[in-house]
Order: sequence, then C-alpha cells, then structure tokens
Amino acid sequence: SSAPALERPQVVSHVQQSLSYTVFDCKWVPRSARLLCLGSAARGTGVVQLYELRAARLELLREIEKPKPIKCGTFGATSLQQRYLATGDFDGNLNIWNLEAPEIPVYSVKGHKEIINSIDGVGGLGIGEGAPEIVTGSRDGTVKVWDPRQKDTPVANMEPVQGESKRDCWTVAFGNAYNQEERVVCAGYDNGDIKLFDLKTMSLRWETNIKNGVCSVEFDRKDINMNKLVATSLEGKFHVFDMRTQHPTKGFASVSEKAQKSTIWQVRHLPQNRDIFMTSGGSGSLHLWKYEYPAQRSKKDSEGAEMGVAGSLSLLQNVTLSTQPISSLDWSPDKKGLCVCGAFDQTVRVLIVTKLNKI
Amino acid sequence: MPVWLREHRWHQTLTAVHLSLPLRGARATAANIFCSERYLKVSIPPFLFEAILYAPIDDKSSTAKIKNGNIFFTLYKKDPAMWDSLTLENADKEILQNIRENAVLKAQERAKEETEAKKVTKQEHKKYALEATMKLEEAERKRIEDLKEKERQKVTKELELWKKQQKDAENYKSIQKEVELNQEIWQLKERKNEKMNKTRVPNEGASKTRLKPTTGCHGSSSMFSQNLKEEQIPSPRSAATIKVNFTPRVFPTALRESRVAEEEEWLHKQAEARRTITADLSELEDLKEEEKNPDWLKDKGNKMFAMGNYLAAVNAYNLAVRLNNKLPLLYLNRAACHLKLRNLHKAIADSSKALELLTPPVPDNENARVKAYVRRGTAFCQLELYTEGLQDYEAALKIDPKNKNIEKDAEKIRSLIQGTMQGS
Repeated sequence: SSAPALERPQVVSHVQQSLSYTVFDCKWVPRSARLLCLGSAARGTGVVQLYELRAARLELLREIEKPKPIKCGTFGATSLQQRYLATGDFDGNLNIWNLEAPEIPVYSVKGHKEIINSIDGVGGLGIGEGAPEIVTGSRDGTVKVWDPRQKDTPVANMEPVQGESKRDCWTVAFGNAYNQEERVVCAGYDNGDIKLFDLKTMSLRWETNIKNGVCSVEFDRKDINMNKLVATSLEGKFHVFDMRTQHPTKGFASVSEKAQKSTIWQVRHLPQNRDIFMTSGGSGSLHLWKYEYPAQRSKKDSEGAEMGVAGSLSLLQNVTLSTQPISSLDWSPDKKGLCVCGAFDQTVRVLIVTKLNKI
Repeated sequence: MPVWLREHRWHQTLTAVHLSLPLRGARATAANIFCSERYLKVSIPPFLFEAILYAPIDDKSSTAKIKNGNIFFTLYKKDPAMWDSLTLENADKEILQNIRENAVLKAQERAKEETEAKKVTKQEHKKYALEATMKLEEAERKRIEDLKEKERQKVTKELELWKKQQKDAENYKSIQKEVELNQEIWQLKERKNEKMNKTRVPNEGASKTRLKPTTGCHGSSSMFSQNLKEEQIPSPRSAATIKVNFTPRVFPTALRESRVAEEEEWLHKQAEARRTITADLSELEDLKEEEKNPDWLKDKGNKMFAMGNYLAAVNAYNLAVRLNNKLPLLYLNRAACHLKLRNLHKAIADSSKALELLTPPVPDNENARVKAYVRRGTAFCQLELYTEGLQDYEAALKIDPKNKNIEKDAEKIRSLIQGTMQGS
C-alpha cells in the first residue's frame, strides 16, 4: 500500500537544466550551493560550466571553454580556501585550474597517451591527512598518481608489464588514507579486473576479476581504515567488498547484486552516511541502497585464517529519470540528500533525497 | 378439451372492475394469467377461463391477486363508464378471433419492449459503476500526488533555508575576517613603531630592520594559516612503478565481446569429432594399429603432400575420412591435394565440406576457414567460374583483411571478370 511506501526515502527532482553539450561529469563545489558541469561541446572542445542553485533554477555563473573535451574532474586534492579543480581530458592531459582565473592552469601535464577515463583526489578539503594526491586512470592501461607539487612526473605509475596486451582502465579511487603514510588506489579495468595498489609499500595488494568490465569503484570513505568497496560493472551487476579482513588466498568477502539489465555507470556513497550509496544505470535510473553489516564481520576458516563475512543489501528506493544513461553522480558534502546527476540526454538534474535521517 | 371455468363473480365501480374466479383446487401462478387491453385469459391445464372484456382496460396497472383458491382481478377501466356486462356478448366469432390475436401480438411487443428497456438500464448501470470506480482511482492518485507535492515543497523550503544560512555564515565570516585583519594591521603598525623607536638609538641598524608589512591585506591571514598547514603535509613521495598483469582468458576477448556460446559449441564439436570413429571394421581388420588412427593418417598425408606425392596423400586422407568423417582438417587438406591434381570439382566438394564442419565461426578456426575459402576460390577460377571464385576470395578477405596475397588475387579476378564482360 502507498502509506509505508511513502515512509521510504523519496527522490525528488528539484531542478532540471538542459545543456547544449554532452556532460561527462558533474561535481558540487565544496562549501557552496554551486556545481560544475564538465563535458564536450559539439565542435570538439571542452566545456566547464559553473552553476549556482537559486530558488528553483540553476543560474549559469560562468562558462569556460578549453581546447580538448573534458572527461572527469575532482576537488579531492585541493584545500578549502583554494578549491582548485583537477580535470582529465580526452587527450590524456591532467590540468588543475583556479576557477577564478581559468585561462592558464595552475598545474598541467600530459599524463597519458590516451583519454583519462577517471580521476580522484585525496588529502584536500580538510579531510584526512597526508599529501594531496591525484590519481588518473586511462585507456592506455596505466594508472598514475600525481602530486601537484611535483611537475611532469607521477609519484606512482601502475603500468602493464612489457609486451603484455593492455586493457583500458575505466575507473580509479583512493582509499585507506587514515594517516600520513597509508594510502591505497583501487583501479577497475574493462576486462573485469579490479586491482588494489598499496602506495606505502608500492606493491599490488590484491586483485580479482568480476568477469564484466568495471565501470566505477568507490570506497565508502577515503580517509578511514578501508571499510567497504563498491565496484559496479556492465550487465547490471555490482559487488560490495568488505575490506576489513583480507584472507591470504580468497581475498575480500563480497556480496553482489544484479539491479538492472543495463550497465551501472556510477556508484556514490552518501558523505553523511557511509552505508548508503546510490547507483546510476544505463537505463536512466537511480537506485538507492543500504548495506547492512552481518552479525560477525569475520570468521575463521578451516585452517584458522581470518576471512571476512559480507553483509546484505537492501534497496531503499529507485526512480527512473531519463531514457539515456546517467553517467555522473555527486552528493553534496554540505547538505544531506542533495545530489546532482548528469545524463547523456544533455540534461543535468539536481535531486533531493528525503528521509535519509530516518534510515 | 379444456374445462371451462364459468363460475366467476364480478362487480364494478366507475373506474374499476373487480372479478373473482374460483380455481377449483388448481394452483395458479402469474404465468398462467394472460391479459391485454380487451382480453383476459387464465389457463391452468386443464382449466381454461377467457373473457373478452366489454371495454378496454389499462392492463399495465391492473392487478391479480391469488388467494385462498381464488384469483381476484382488479381491472382499471380505460374509460370510466359502467359496463353492461363483463364480457362482450353476442360478439362475432371473427371479431373474437381478431381480438384474441391482437392481444397476443400486443403482448409479444410489450415483452420485446421490456427486454429492450432492461438492456438499456443494464448498460447505464454498468457505465455508472465504471465512472464511480474511475472517480475513486482518480481520487487515490490525486492524494498520492498531493503528498509528493507537499514533500517537494517542504524540501525546497528547507534547501532555501539552508542556503540562506550558508550565505549568512559566509557574510558573518567575512566580516569577522575584516575585523581580525584590521586588528592585525594595527598590531603590525604598533610593532613597527616600537622597532623604529628601538632602532633610532643605534642609527646604522634602522634601514635593515624595516618591518615589511605584507602586501595586500587579504593575503596576510591566509598566508599565516597556510604556512602552518604546509609544515604538516609530508613531501611528495618518491616515484615508483608497479608492474601489472591482466587476467588472461582462453579467448582473448573480454566477456562482453566474446561470443561464449559459439566458442563453447566449437570446442564441444571438436571434442566430439575426436571421439567419433565411423569404423567399418570388416575392411579395416588388416590395417596396422597406427593406420587406424586418423591423426596419424593425416600426418602421413601431409608428409606425402610436402613430398609432392599427391595421390598417396589423397589415399591417406581417404582412409582417415573413413575412420572419422568429422574432422574438418582432413577435408581441407584433401582439397589442397585435389587442387594440385587438378580434380577441381573434388576440390570444391572437399572445401565445402570443410567449411560446413568449421561452424560456428570463431577466432579459433579462422585460419582454417581462410584456407578453405581460398582453395575453393582457386578451384572455381580454374573452372573459369570467376564470379563464384571472387565471392570466396572476398569471404576469405573478410576474415583476414590484412592478407596481401588474397587481396592481390581478388584484384586479378576482378579485372578478369571486367575484361570478359567488356570483351563479350
């Protein structure tokens, strides 16, 4: 009946804005009601638009055009005062921009030979500790970590062995950055490989293959001892790994869910509650999930080694907003439940998810 | 013969006639009474009573009550007038007959009308019921919409409130900053004055100890806090590389690209083929052990081919085929032999058979398929069936577009075809 259904969180569409270009990524500007849309204009140039949320409209504050289409961006490695935007473009360039003076980038490097598919930043925004770093994953099969204070060369490079055929890297994410030394990078590839690189020991800590290309990976929090990792893939499947207990041979325990028939493009955890996350799909739908921990998070196997126990997932709400894939999604770090999503129908939508306090 | 009921009693008023009819033990129901404007009949076999009324009555409003073995009729007259008698006396037989018939017809018509009326009312009732349910559902839907709308508005209001708070907080912060800055500048000025006073005593030091107030008021506070922070951030880590291996697969395609079903089928077929032995034991008894192995025979055939002994190769392949007719490579190689021997039709037949067995088309059997097409194409061309030959060459090119030889040969055939077309 409808009454209990209305007790669940509702996804309310607040504002919708039609764009004249293909939007690949959208991000909230921290500590503000402003958001950025990054994408590719029809004439093959890159577009950055800055909008402000006013009343029931999005007001365009600024539009910046760049020579190459932009695929992804992050504020993760910048301080709260500076709020510089790091972007990866179709040509493999990593740039960091001061949006007040966007003519010349603050930092620029041709990091990859091919398009940078995914970017993440850590160490900024007053969250966590340690050096600010940016990681980029590219179609050329490499994953590189950059420090904005070091020009031209990355501080870490994860590349295929010489002579081996490369696979596109589709997504990257930082995690485990709970003190100044510890950090991991998780990368997902188009053949279903997920690899976890430990930056402190500069080694491969874990890898697995989930059979279908990995579209998006995210840790529930970057700045804590790694807790959970969600990896989404093609054909509507996603996996949640419990990262607290690593078994020597079996790796991390996981639970998987097949939500939709189509690709799951993005996963984003709610900044205010790390057990709630939203997945966006190729059919234009959004699913809101809650993870429930099992009674015991780890148990001993037959040889006495510790292995993790995966919990369970429940679907809180789902809504279909568009007929085209929703390729990007971002929660506002300042207002709980406020999120923005960009879809391939050239529309950016600001949504409000209600009743998250009651979960 | 019906038994006539004649013992009836009647009396009348100006507007109605009351008739009572004893039933003599028979039981009457409504079905036994037939009444029209001028004709009244009660038929309870074997009893019969009929009356052709003196004057017309309103048969719709007239009633009949069955009680205590009697029927009491109350017939309302159409014209209020006193009747001389109940029935029409001295009436002509024909007139009577007519009246009877008319009565029956009228009754039938009325029955029809009634059913029609019933139908119409039924329709209307249905429509009404439908409309009522629709209204209910509309109401329900509206209720849910309203709830949603309310949520939306509530949430929008909250958002606006939050934004206002943000703005106010920012304004407050900036005002505070200004105040702090002013204080700092004042403090700096104080310090400067002090220092200048101090250094006035030793004259030389004055110029050196000029306190530099930082340029731009806004920079000062943030610079101080930034310096503090920078001390806490570690230096960039030393560069290193991690080498990565990717998960291998039997077929070098990701799951999304592979045609797993077909590849499975191909593997399955190969396995099956290996196991089939179409043995005809009687003839093969005098063969050596190794000669019964199709693979061994295939190798033998290949060797013969390499040496140029095409007939022997064909023999070897023939025997192998008799043992196992599901191995495509046997037919493929035999086709090559036939080509060399200029048995063109046999070459075509073998290449075709090989192609048949090389389904489903997967990357694994690409090479074999290319060879089969090329061999068959060659045979066609040598038979001067150039169009068929070109078709096969193009099929081969489709599988292996990078092969220059096949391309060259295809070009040659094309020009040949065009040459013959122009010539004829």
